[in-house]
Amino acid sequence: MTAVIETRGLTKTYGTVRALDGLDLSIPRGGVYGVLGPNGAGKSTLFRILLGLIRPTDGSASVMGGAVGDVAAMRRMGSMIETPRFPPYLTARQVLRWLALEHGIAGEVDIPYWLDRVGLTEAADRKVRGFSVGMMQRLGVAGALLSKPELIILDEPTSGMDPPGIQEMRALIRSLANDDGMTVILASHQLLEVQRVCDRVAILNKGKLVREGAVSELTSVGERLRLSVSPPGKALELLGARGAADGDAVLADVKRSEGPDVIRALVGAGIDIHEARWVGTDLEAIFFTETGAVQAPETIHAG
Amino acid sequence: MLVDAIRAEGFRLSKNRTALFWSVVFVPIITLVIGTITQFVMKANEAKLLADSDAPPGLKMMMQRGGELDLAQGLVEAAGNLAGPMVLLFVLIGAATLYAGDYRWETWRLISARNSRSNLLLGKLAVVAQLALAAMLFMLVAAVIENFIRASIFDRTIVFGATGEAFGQFAGLFALSWLRILQFTMMGMLAAAVTRSLLAALFVPLVLGVAQFFTPQMLGPMGFTPDAWLSILVNPGAAMDVIKAAVSGGEAAAGLADGEVLKAWVSLGLWTLLPLAGALAWFKRQDLSKE
Repeated sequence: MTAVIETRGLTKTYGTVRALDGLDLSIPRGGVYGVLGPNGAGKSTLFRILLGLIRPTDGSASVMGGAVGDVAAMRRMGSMIETPRFPPYLTARQVLRWLALEHGIAGEVDIPYWLDRVGLTEAADRKVRGFSVGMMQRLGVAGALLSKPELIILDEPTSGMDPPGIQEMRALIRSLANDDGMTVILASHQLLEVQRVCDRVAILNKGKLVREGAVSELTSVGERLRLSVSPPGKALELLGARGAADGDAVLADVKRSEGPDVIRALVGAGIDIHEARWVGTDLEAIFFTETGAVQAPETIHAG
Repeated sequence: MLVDAIRAEGFRLSKNRTALFWSVVFVPIITLVIGTITQFVMKANEAKLLADSDAPPGLKMMMQRGGELDLAQGLVEAAGNLAGPMVLLFVLIGAATLYAGDYRWETWRLISARNSRSNLLLGKLAVVAQLALAAMLFMLVAAVIENFIRASIFDRTIVFGATGEAFGQFAGLFALSWLRILQFTMMGMLAAAVTRSLLAALFVPLVLGVAQFFTPQMLGPMGFTPDAWLSILVNPGAAMDVIKAAVSGGEAAAGLADGEVLKAWVSLGLWTLLPLAGALAWFKRQDLSKE
């Protein structure tokens, strides 16, 4: 697997604060890669270094095989970090035209196509001063995609969007990876969204990489079958050491391949099963474990 | 590439009607309006002014009835005055918008990864140069219209005595005015890069320009004559006047001291190149995540 982003011992200090602390990270080409971490974990600092906005205090970073700042390599990357802003006197179409000129691709870019792709066709000729945060996000994404880059970095792309907008953005991100063959690097605080969209994730905490891997591998660890049964006591008795109470339900510590047999056995023993679903160690749980962040009591670990 | 930066900045400026109006159109309009009103006031008070022995000879010449009015000479005079305080001030508005705009709108992060920082800043400078050029051309158009109005009011015939000398003077004074405007806005570029502030990009050159205007009054009592190195080095406006006199020739040039023109070129050069070098050096190392 070739890496699109490679960092070695990447360190950035602001006074006494170490925003990045010797980060070693290799992001493979292809798919959607999530970068997670609580506030202050170093995500934004990492992106700012990769975009050449700031210089690292120590260590090195490469983008598309070239050093950060190598314009030829950087031109193969698009980005939208934080909520983008644009000159308010420009329309959405003019913003894209301006960016196309800046990127030296004005003659080859299909602006109406990108406006349509992010759902801004109707607002194309409206001045951006009247745009909502969600519309700014969409325009920022379109601007990042204009040059059809091989790699795109999106920092909180759904911030400020309404639920349909979030769904559209999620579909767009997946389509960029699946249909356009782009490598998408995504930072988001919405862990469920990341779990749904990303193929791999890296979790940062206090400037260090604390966990990295394919989402499917990470979430399959500790996966259990959650059964809403009556009576639960009888089910627990039958499951023995592999069973545990979870409120009114029962958690069965069994492999996926054993699931049907377990259900058959419970039904055979006269136990009514109202619901059965797999609950894993979802990204949220991993996130809270790895970062030591305090989890809100109402947080639901969906499977 | 530099050409990408220039085209993009030019496009963005072309959509900023407010900046374009104040920087390019406003001063020529005001100059034309005030100039025209002045002509009519002079016409209304013609008899009184001509009879007044204290009235300046230049004023009486302007009111001369009949004869020819040389448009070429009018353009040469206008070219020498293109970098007047009003033009400097109002071109600075557009220049400051260009130099500080990407800090103000937090747009550096959208463009800085795909071009070199030198190109991005030099692209802005090139567009400011075009902006200054546009403002100067509008001023010249205003000067031509004003000459036609004067000819009409005072019954004079417009002629165009385009001699080689007049053309040379026009080209020299025009280029000099252009350089002076760019030099003046260059402090705005440095101030924008260092402070990330539009207000600083506007006020630093203004305050400095006002301070420089008063340097002769400060340095004179200290024994520095107007043609001393220090007097010219600290005041690029005075340097501009020295070079302008040299280009205009005649009595103005004859009054210049030995080496004064060289000192003036050094002053104008330093005030142009040092802020540019400073802004480039600063911008190349700047943290652009804090906009």
